[in-house]
Amino acid sequence: MSHPVAIDDLRQRLMQAGYVADDGLATALGCAVGLERAVLLEGDAGVGKTDAARALAAVYGASLLRLQCYEGLDLAAAAYDWNYGKQLLAIRAAEASHDRMPDLYADDFLIRRPLLAALGAERARGIVLLIDEIDRADDEFEAFLLEFLADFAISIPERGTIAAIHRPIVILTSNRTRDLHDALKRRCFYHWIGHPTVEREIEILRLHLPELSPALASDVARAAAALRARELRKPPGIAESIDWAQTLGLLGADRLDAAVFGPSLGSILKYPEDIDTARAAAGSIVAAARDEGAA
Amino acid sequence: MIDAAPAAAGFDRALRARGIAAGTRRTLTFAEVLRVLPPTTTRELYWRARVAMLPSIDDLDAFHAAFVEFWGALDDAGALHRLVRMVGEQRPPRDAPKREAIPPPPSDRAADERSAESAPTRWIVASREESLRDRPFEELDDSERAAMLRLIDRIRIAGEVRASRRRRVHAHGDRFDFRGTLRGAARTAGELLVRRATRRRTRLRPLIFLLDVSGSMAPFARALVQYARVTAIARPRVRAFAFATRLTDLGPWLKRASDEHLMAAIGAAVHDYGGGTRIGAALRSFNERYAQRGIARGGTVVVLSDGWERDDAGLLGREMARLRKLTRRIVWVNPHKRHAAYEPLARGMAAALPYLDAFLSGHSLRTLEAVADAIEGRTA
Repeated sequence: MSHPVAIDDLRQRLMQAGYVADDGLATALGCAVGLERAVLLEGDAGVGKTDAARALAAVYGASLLRLQCYEGLDLAAAAYDWNYGKQLLAIRAAEASHDRMPDLYADDFLIRRPLLAALGAERARGIVLLIDEIDRADDEFEAFLLEFLADFAISIPERGTIAAIHRPIVILTSNRTRDLHDALKRRCFYHWIGHPTVEREIEILRLHLPELSPALASDVARAAAALRARELRKPPGIAESIDWAQTLGLLGADRLDAAVFGPSLGSILKYPEDIDTARAAAGSIVAAARDEGAA
Repeated sequence: MIDAAPAAAGFDRALRARGIAAGTRRTLTFAEVLRVLPPTTTRELYWRARVAMLPSIDDLDAFHAAFVEFWGALDDAGALHRLVRMVGEQRPPRDAPKREAIPPPPSDRAADERSAESAPTRWIVASREESLRDRPFEELDDSERAAMLRLIDRIRIAGEVRASRRRRVHAHGDRFDFRGTLRGAARTAGELLVRRATRRRTRLRPLIFLLDVSGSMAPFARALVQYARVTAIARPRVRAFAFATRLTDLGPWLKRASDEHLMAAIGAAVHDYGGGTRIGAALRSFNERYAQRGIARGGTVVVLSDGWERDDAGLLGREMARLRKLTRRIVWVNPHKRHAAYEPLARGMAAALPYLDAFLSGHSLRTLEAVADAIEGRTA
């Protein structure tokens, strides 16, 4: 089943949900929704991969199910598990009262984890399933996802196959700590979320921090861009620049200047070496932020 | 309703000509996207093509080239017309550029000749194994080197394991298995007679080779590349990188049978031949692009280098400190160490020394076996 989605309209609605998406991201999400296929978002930490799922869920009024991946994630934690304690109690109770043995694999005893729960949407686009940081899971889990993403069904040996009536919107994110199998990537739309342009970053800052002065938002975005242009261990993502703008606001600054630059760096850079690099270049970064801001 | 399959298939061919194997599934997806969400501008077409067909951000440059070639430049309105016309005429798209010729695989006959050549000499290899074991690699002639490479194939495959988070059923497991026990009880009329348990599985730790392939190190690098290759074929989680002036991932070629691509990749690391080695810079790009993302975490890194740093030795020291924090064990192989009077005078070597778990010469087969031990934390 496919439903056309107007990409520009989707972008507008994402904006209303507090998320600024560029052409590529809006297209990727729109295709995923329209063709009911998963989308894989890759990018450095802090560029807004997880937030994209949150915003998409808000757009469709869907509930967001999040599955955080880690090594050793197995079906019992990701898809379903049986409530063993309850099963044992049911057996004992049936014995004590000489009743017929209850069906031990009825719904009552089934614990629905995110993947199984995602198959239970009551309407189209009713559920957004976020499979976060898939690169942290191991090969075995990836192999299981192949089946899940192909059929949107889970086979439970005791119950048979449970299939989705309305397919969930599936978003996978990866930080690229390892390469994913191509078999998995082939089943997804793919988008790389890069660092934003200055204009887009200003837009994002103002959307997230409405009380932030336009001048400070522009200073922060330009300074963040200047920082990213330097050789840093960890170039700051959007999450960090939002933190930074918030910190500067708390410090009572209305423009970025040398007095607040140094002390507030800890909220945007997370390595001592990076902070040293930034301190050494404080003058030129502040100047770059303000000059262009004024121009 | 338009049928976009020919357009998608043609674009797939154009991508393939540029070395991007998008595959049939992506092509079908792209065709469906064109059908369900027909683009109205070239820009829209571009993004639809990209989210459906681009396998990885690493392929972006080739993707751009193929897109421009096949559809026209981004702001060229003609591209859309081409799409519409193509779809209308239901005809395969214009000729995609020819693929690069792929060298034919060696024929059986050639293989026979090779084995015929090597067969009579096999006993010689066996008999001279002992004499080869202690000979430094740089003193070997061509036939000895070939024999040496075959002997490297027999060195023990090193691998250290750690407990995995995954569990499997085990008779003497340390955690009670509810599900297994309950299912077992079904066979005994609901009585819980057999206790089942699980135990943690083990998982191989990553093993990474960083090989200095500059002129003077070449014979030793060749031997370690061979060892890295044998290891990579035998066990998972092995990566190898070559560096001289810049770092190159030997990645996909490491496990292939043909030396040709592997040697080309190594050649790419020696950008500026004879220009000396920039160990610190190579380590920094390794740390930034690979180690920090997690490929080396909890693993062993084997560095082959003589420690002659062309640039600032301070950078090398800093990057070693960083690598130290990202890995479990660092083994440094320096062939000069075999000389009794050797002292780590090279500034780079002196800077790296405090961060090493093992410092070995690895200049001959026997010492290479010691490297295999050191990878697992055993000292000779």
